[in-house]
Amino acid sequence: MSLRHINDNINSFNSINNVWNNCTVADEKSEILAWLSPLEPRIRHQDIQTRRVEGVGDWLLQTQEYRNWLSGIRGGESDGSALFCYGGPGVGKTYIR
Amino acid sequence: MGGNAAVACFYFDFATPEEQSPATILGSVLRQVVSGIDEVPERIAKAFRDREKVIGGQRLALDEIVEFIQDMSSSRSTFICIDALDECAAGHRVKLLDSLHQILQMSPSARVFITGRPHIRGEIDTHLAKRATTRSITPTNNDILTFLRAKLRDDTMPDAMDERLEEEIIENITETVSEM
Repeated sequence: MSLRHINDNINSFNSINNVWNNCTVADEKSEILAWLSPLEPRIRHQDIQTRRVEGVGDWLLQTQEYRNWLSGIRGGESDGSALFCYGGPGVGKTYIR
Repeated sequence: MGGNAAVACFYFDFATPEEQSPATILGSVLRQVVSGIDEVPERIAKAFRDREKVIGGQRLALDEIVEFIQDMSSSRSTFICIDALDECAAGHRVKLLDSLHQILQMSPSARVFITGRPHIRGEIDTHLAKRATTRSITPTNNDILTFLRAKLRDDTMPDAMDERLEEEIIENITETVSEM
């Protein structure tokens, strides 16, 4: 076996090894994610997103309360880091955007 | 706020109460925050490897989850959105609010967005202390119009509909809603 041949083999071994390492890293991440939580809230989120009617509830984004919350500006008594939107059943709280 | 913010959501539902302890809710939030970054923070990976050795791969406790969320939201804008908090069991709800308060206290770049029925307002004021702003949600006339027109467009029996009937439906519903 020539030296070049050995080098080639080492190179291909290294690249296989890299692929292997990337796989283990990716696998561990998905294992960790599954361990952190088995829930899939994205499914509900996407379902709501597709049933939402374009333009409905957009006004919330223009309110002072929302803008202050987003940019972290103090509003009156509150330090503005939490925003509680309340309303009776069926007013569209889940669907505001 | 920059384009690199983390957004995590949780939707409460009366139908699945067993999934709704503060540790499972915030565990789900932590998972969403971690899934958005390339590399799992070493502290979390280490906690995972340590637990993996225990049979069943024991999950994190609430205070550990809170600490990890605090860690991660201190370096990155993090938005935690919780829908229908009133549907959470009362005991869990208070604990969850206390944990959210702990997160907000430690991480200035964390934001919490909550929706719920008005009766839990007092609880939010008490447990989020001075951190919460409240806002009432009611559909505007424009919301109702836009929504109705979209629904009428999707009508599965368009032959039964004419312009007069459409206007009548819209007029009647918007009037009834504004009287509610």
